[in-house]
This record gives sequence, C-alpha cells and structure tokens, in this order.
Amino acid sequence: MHTLKSPFAARLSPCGGILMHSPRTRLTAALKSRGVSRREFVQFCSSMVATLALPPRYLGAVVKALTQASRPVLVWLEFQDCAGNTESMLRSSNPPVAEFVLDLLSWEYHETLMAGAGKQAEDALERVVREHAGEYIAVVEGAIPTADGGVYCTIGGKAALDIAKHVCSKAAANIAVGACAWDGGLVRSNPNPTGALGLHEAVPGLKNLINLGGCPHNPANTAAVLVHYLTFHDLPALDEYNRPLFAYGDIIHDQCERRAHYDAGRFVEEWGDEGHRKGYCLYKMGCKGPEATYNCPTVRWNDGTSWPVKSGHGCIACASHRFWDTKSPFYKRLPSVPGFGVDVTADEIGWVATAAVGAAMVAQVAGNMVRDKLRPKKTAEETKEPPESRGA
Amino acid sequence: MKKTQRRHGQETEWKRPAHGQVRVYVWEWPVRFAHWIIFATIVSLSITGYYMHSPFVVPHGRTAYVMGTMRFVHLLSGFAFLGAVLIRIVWMFIGNRWSHWDQFIPVTRKRLKDIAETGKYYGFMVWSPTPHIGHNALAGASYAVMYGLALVEILTGLALYSRILGNRVVSFFFGWLPHLVDIQWLREIHFLVMFVFWMFFIHHLYTAILVSIEEENGVMESIFSGYKFVPEHELRKALAEENDEDAEVLREARPAAEQSSQSRA
Repeated sequence: MHTLKSPFAARLSPCGGILMHSPRTRLTAALKSRGVSRREFVQFCSSMVATLALPPRYLGAVVKALTQASRPVLVWLEFQDCAGNTESMLRSSNPPVAEFVLDLLSWEYHETLMAGAGKQAEDALERVVREHAGEYIAVVEGAIPTADGGVYCTIGGKAALDIAKHVCSKAAANIAVGACAWDGGLVRSNPNPTGALGLHEAVPGLKNLINLGGCPHNPANTAAVLVHYLTFHDLPALDEYNRPLFAYGDIIHDQCERRAHYDAGRFVEEWGDEGHRKGYCLYKMGCKGPEATYNCPTVRWNDGTSWPVKSGHGCIACASHRFWDTKSPFYKRLPSVPGFGVDVTADEIGWVATAAVGAAMVAQVAGNMVRDKLRPKKTAEETKEPPESRGA
Repeated sequence: MKKTQRRHGQETEWKRPAHGQVRVYVWEWPVRFAHWIIFATIVSLSITGYYMHSPFVVPHGRTAYVMGTMRFVHLLSGFAFLGAVLIRIVWMFIGNRWSHWDQFIPVTRKRLKDIAETGKYYGFMVWSPTPHIGHNALAGASYAVMYGLALVEILTGLALYSRILGNRVVSFFFGWLPHLVDIQWLREIHFLVMFVFWMFFIHHLYTAILVSIEEENGVMESIFSGYKFVPEHELRKALAEENDEDAEVLREARPAAEQSSQSRA
C-alpha cells in the first residue's frame, strides 16, 4: 500500500551536506523539482491546518504563506538521545510529512542524516551560526548533561552544554523535540548520573523556545509548529511548559476511542483476555490516559494508522512532565508507596491498616470487659456525686 | 456508682434517666446536620471512589454506564462533603462552646493535660474515663486531624477535578497543585487518605459506644437529638471552670428526670 522509501534517500547527496537546494530557493520550486504535485501540497497544508486546530478558512493563508516563504535555515542538534525523534520523523511515509518538512526548511546540519562528517560538518554548523545569526531555527534532540563540566556528551571536542549555549542563543526560534530535550526524559530520570537537564533548564532564558515533549515527538506536530511559524511568523499558543496547546492541551482519556468502554465499566482485566480482544478500556492495566495530555489519539502515528491505546497497550503518558519518574510503574494505576516493597499496592496497605485498627478496637473491647470485671467497688464510691446535686 | 445502681435497681428504675442528671443541648442543628452529611458522603465517596480506583462491578448490557454513574455520584458527593465541612468549620467560630474550634485544637494547658488523661484511660492505666460534656481533648485533637485530612481530600479532589474540567476558573484556583505534586501522587494521596477515614470510622464508632456505656450520658443519641445527659454537678463544674456560672446553658438545662416525667404525662 505504502512505498516504504525514505524521503531522505534522495537527500544523501554525494557532495557533502544534506542540502539539495540553497536557502534562497522557494518551497514551491523545491517541491516542483522533486515532483510533488500541487494537490499533494494542498493536502499537506490542510492536514497541518487540522493539526493546528485552525478553522478551515486558514487553509488559503497557509498555502499562500508556504508558497511564498523563502525556506529558513534549520540546524538539528543531537545530544544525549537515541535518535528516536529523528527516526520518528523519517518513518512517516505517506502523506510524506517528512518530505514537506525537509523541503520547507533548509536543513544545514543534522548529524544522523548528513553525509558530511568531522570538521566539514562542524564547519557547516559554525557557518550557519555566523552567517544566519538570529535567523535560523535550532531543533534540539536529547538531554544536556551538566555534571562534571558536561563531559558526558561532547561533539567535536565541545561539550553539549557549550554547543547548546552557542547555537541556541543565536537562533530565531528553538524547538526542543522529544522528552529528553524538553525535561531531560529518560536520561534525567532517577538517579540521573550525568546531571542531565532539558534545554530550557540547561540554557535558561532562551527566546522563542517551544517544547515538543513526547517519546518520541510526533512529526505531525513538529511540522505543524514549523508551518505555523512560517505562516504567522510567530509560535502557536503555548502552555506553562512552552508546549503548543493544540497538541498538549487535551487529556488523552477525553479523546480516546475506548472511552465508551471506560464509562460503561468494561475493562481489560489481564493481557489477552476476552476484554482485551474486544478492545475494552485499559484503565486497570495501568493506562495513564486519564493523566496525560497529547493529541496522540487524533493525530496518531505512522501516517494516522494507529496509536498505543488503539493497538491494545495502555498510554504511558510519554508527553507528560518527567514521565519516567512520575508516571511509572506503567502497568499499575498508582505509584508504589515509598517505604514499602515495589509489589505492595496502596490497596493492600490501606486494607491492612484498616484491619489493624479494627483488631485494635476488638482488643480494646476485650480490655474494657476485663477492666469492667476488675474495677474495684471503692473506685465507684470515690466517684460518687456530691449529695447536693442529687434530688430532682 | 451509676453502674451499680443499674445493676441492682429495679427495671423501671434504670429505664428512667439517671439520678441527678440534667439535659444539656450540646450539638446544635448545624453540627448534627454537618455530621450526618459528612457521614453519608464519606460512605458514598468511599464506595464510588474505590470503584473508580479499582472497578469491582461487572457491567451488563450494551447501555451500561457504571463508571459514568460512579463518577457522577462521586462528584456530587464530593461537593456535598465540601459544603458540610465548610458549614462545620464556620460553626467552629459561631457555634456554642462545645462546637468551638478550641475543642479541637488543644491550646490550653488543661486541654493538653486532658489528652494525657484520656490516653491513660484508653491505655488501661486508670479505671474510669474523665467525664466531659463536649469532646474530650484527645477526641477533639483527632477530629482536628480528620478535618485537616478532609481538607487534603477536598484540595486533591478539586485539583483532579480541575484537570478533567479544564475550566479556567477552577484551574486558576487548583491547577497549581499538579505542578507542585505530580498528579499521580495526588491520586495516591486522595486514595490513601480514604483508608484513614475508614480507620477513623471504626475507632469513632467504637469510642462512641464505649463512652455511651461508661459515662451513661446518651452520647450516641445526642448526635440525633443534640442533647446529652450529664450529672448537674459536672455541668456546674465545667461552667465554673470557664467562669461562666450564670450561663444560659445552666438555666436551660433542666433535670432530665423531670423532663422525661413531663413527656410521659
């Protein structure tokens, strides 16, 4: 059905960089040279308008802006990462989001994709910072280690922290893609041996910073942010974590296609049971949908094919703040209570404690019965009321 | 003494209020109202809340709406609980002496000493409990803790609700909490505190029965009627300690035996 060609295959030009066109080439020209029809282009624009939750009348504005925009320069920095966000970008095939994103911008530097290496590659980055200062877009993938002078991630002899400070502070806009670049992600999760931080903490005070959390980021959202930037010359509405509201504003649970089963009370009790085969709600399997916000259920993955809950696995809230620490265990509804074993649930603690109080009360009853029997008569006489209060 | 009187007296004797007791209006209607609303809502909040944590009902039919109903009842009960707790807290400042806030938070040396005395009774170190007209200091302090936990439940509950609602007003007031404590821990706290309420319920019921038997003051009935039956000298002593000998309450308190004979007539 889909051709699994990578849109990047054609870009690995023998002459060094990933550049096919100069930054001055307009998008339409770039697309035309790659044989993308206007129909496909408008389809892409309408999907972006939908992702941004803009009214349909904005389609014209988006098409016009993208047609006329000269492609801004983009550098993609990778630090403590697994290249998962890059992979997520590459794996979209049809409609070719990555294709458009790559042609929308002039990608000057991307370690995983570019053919150039070593000094030539680092020179390309340096040239962008020098020649396009205040104009280029910097995308950051991966956490930035700060422990021991940042020695745990160095590129070309320079610490990630220094590169980020150098490149991001001169960018027109910074986009942190994935959980690691946003809040440190897996790298920063307890015990965080490298002192990893997200971009906004490692390099405070960056202007025009936008966080696209998620493990990985959804390329549709990243493309939509870029389209928004090119169309309106501004970032979309952001939440308190600098995440775009169109993607991170709604709770997954409220958009979930299994929600009706939740409301009805039909739940998967164990993996592979009848309820699981029937697509019941994964709440009891530890699904974090009620806690998480993301547009995963509507934008989905692999060209809108599916998303975790649709494929039968609970949400792990990968777009939530520091989710590795805060949303685990992923297969239990509530965190383990500190001071007890990891297998001890809050239910067990509560029931045992309640039973203990009940037992203590039974012991008290027994004790009181004994005390009642043993209570000396003398004590009763001592507590006798004064005679004047008697009568009535 | 009363106990021996009961044991050895005629049946007709001990059915009447004990000798020398006066009837004191201890729990005013807002106290009783709040008490029973809090009780009823804790029951319904516990049942629906436990279901929401770990669904235990197997739904039948295609139109089942078990979780939806549970959540709806939980929200309604939660707001009723909030209202009742607020009424009771307001009444701590405008109510009578036995519903006043200083009955809960021990601020005087006497109340602090009373905690130890009541503790001695529960620890089987003395034969009989110290008589009280309102709450004893230990009970009052435990209620203060429970009101604190009720506020914890209200706050975590509203923070969780603000997440669902996405309402700007509610989010403004309570949306800051999930940033301070992660939402999963809010749920954990909200859930675990429920068990403390259960423990308190067991203990509360037990001590109410115990005191009712030991002091013979009608404490169990008092949460329905508002009246307790206490020996007149105890009431005078309690009022004298507050330098309030001529209090209205003493004038109103009539010998219980007289009242019950009137009602019989």
